[in-house]
Amino acid sequence: MSINIKNKKGADKVLSVYWIMILIITAGGIFGMVYSFYHHPYDVRNVEAEILTNKIADCLSYEGEINSKVFSEGNFNQNFENEFLNECNLNLETSLDSAGEIKEFYVETNFYDSGNLESSVFSFKEGNAGLIAGCDIQEDKEFEKEVKCVEEEFFSFDPGVSEGNEKLYLIKIMSVVRKTDKNVK
Amino acid sequence: MLNNRGQLSEVMSWIVATLAIIAILLVFIFASGILAQKTKVLKIKSVDVDLPDSAEELDVIEVKNTIAYGKASPEQKKIMDDYFGGKNEEP
Repeated sequence: MSINIKNKKGADKVLSVYWIMILIITAGGIFGMVYSFYHHPYDVRNVEAEILTNKIADCLSYEGEINSKVFSEGNFNQNFENEFLNECNLNLETSLDSAGEIKEFYVETNFYDSGNLESSVFSFKEGNAGLIAGCDIQEDKEFEKEVKCVEEEFFSFDPGVSEGNEKLYLIKIMSVVRKTDKNVK
Repeated sequence: MLNNRGQLSEVMSWIVATLAIIAILLVFIFASGILAQKTKVLKIKSVDVDLPDSAEELDVIEVKNTIAYGKASPEQKKIMDDYFGGKNEEP
């Protein structure tokens, strides 16, 4: 018995369906690759904390001298904590919790006399103090995405003391950024 | 026609090829997800200082320490050196 093959259109039509299916699978794969790559947000919190620290440092000290508003009548200005955000042109209220408090940032500044670098003589804080606990556990892989902390320290002089007898202070600035919603998947 | 074994083996080739394509695509999707997690934002140096012969980026905090070191008395320089371990240099 001989099979009389007239044309191959039937086989071609079956193959066309298969190739369309392969194209759809490949396109879906490319879509999946692009989606999985760009779906992860960039974690810029370290940079954000550094910039915040630098901005505070620029506000507190210029050309080696501490901002005169930090002092009042020869002593540290205890009210500076209330004026700090306005003086440094900072707005940490990007998002507030249900009580209307800052929740995503925390900044803490400490001043140390050069004669005793172990004990702070003046400090002020602003923001969510609960975030600082996250700095201690950052080394643990399980909690490394909770907050990002940056601490910088530098020396600066008291501008009020007579020339040639300036008092030297060590200033430590700690900035903490949480913002896990926008930076961590 | 004695049996259909020839046609069956032909179809099996296509099925295996399709599965291989899907497996390779899944591997690439998985790899791109891992690459995305490894992406890091580089540290930013936020001060540009124009020096006579070259432009150099300096850290804000380093600049402040350097300026304070330049203004310090010898005793105060010693305090700063002891604290930072001798990293400061005069401007």
